[in-house]
Amino acid sequence: MTGGADPDDPTDPTAGEGAPADFDRLDTIAERLDGDDRFESVDSRPEFAPDRVTCSYDLGFYPEPVRSARLEVAWFQNGDFSLHYHEDHDASTFDHRWDRHPSDHNARDHVHPGPDAPTPGEDTVHPTDWRDVLASVLHEIQRRQRAFWTG
Amino acid sequence: MDEPRAELTADADERATPPAFDELTPVDEVVRGERTRDDFLDAVLDADDPMTVGEVADAAGHGTDAAREYLEWFERMGIVTRVTDSPATYRRNPSYLRWRRVQTLRERYTDEELVDLLGTERERAETYAGEFDADSPDEVAIADRASDDGRSVEDVWADVSAWRTSRRRTDLLERALKAEGEGSAGRRRAV
Repeated sequence: MTGGADPDDPTDPTAGEGAPADFDRLDTIAERLDGDDRFESVDSRPEFAPDRVTCSYDLGFYPEPVRSARLEVAWFQNGDFSLHYHEDHDASTFDHRWDRHPSDHNARDHVHPGPDAPTPGEDTVHPTDWRDVLASVLHEIQRRQRAFWTG
Repeated sequence: MDEPRAELTADADERATPPAFDELTPVDEVVRGERTRDDFLDAVLDADDPMTVGEVADAAGHGTDAAREYLEWFERMGIVTRVTDSPATYRRNPSYLRWRRVQTLRERYTDEELVDLLGTERERAETYAGEFDADSPDEVAIADRASDDGRSVEDVWADVSAWRTSRRRTDLLERALKAEGEGSAGRRRAV
């Protein structure tokens, strides 16, 4: 694959639809989130060029019926992304997804709201800056976490 | 996002000692990193098109003097390349980022491990090539393919993206193995 299209150059005119995972952005996200008190662990697999980053929330932020909670982050070189929040409970699950990618059921920017993140979702507009997207998602999750304790 | 259903919320005992949400680092700070350097790095890594010093300063949220200093430093390191001199514009240097990733692969894995990883990645890419009956993901028009195959656009998009990711990883692994003969002695040995 040498000598032809440059797979690291997002402005490459030979690139067609869709894009590979943005390994550099995923590394940055893993670095920034790793070690934050919200998370018990932040994992990139495979470590040298991740497809996605899995962030497991510290269960101290949840009451007993919640058995695990995680955010899976997929980001692509053309700016597309899919962020998937998932909770396991004693007898059920909860899912919520924030997406920017082509779809036949929604606009490019959309969300699939809980409890089971159904398709189709709801059209929306996500921020332009990737850091604002991630901050707003972490913020929404935290709002839900707080509601477990005030409900 | 929906609030939790009532039966999932904390009971009276648990509510006596709620988590210390207010002591957490605010999410805006978490995603932006701790240092001025992170702000500038974020700004230049997004610079697919040439940016002036002023544009980089704006994107990073710092002054132009700092921007000039960081850009000169990033240029010396190879993270950005200077595109024009007057005014000075810079863009990110994708070949540096790839070089760094290839170096990481060579430091972290033995040749045998790299060959194994490459085999796995090639198989994965070939599986997608077979499924799409195409030589390259560039040949796949996502919406057309979805309607031909009776699949959702989202499903086809996910597969095309995974195929592209696999090809990119294959390229990195091939470069790491090829770099073996290019002389940087004494780095690695088999475990």
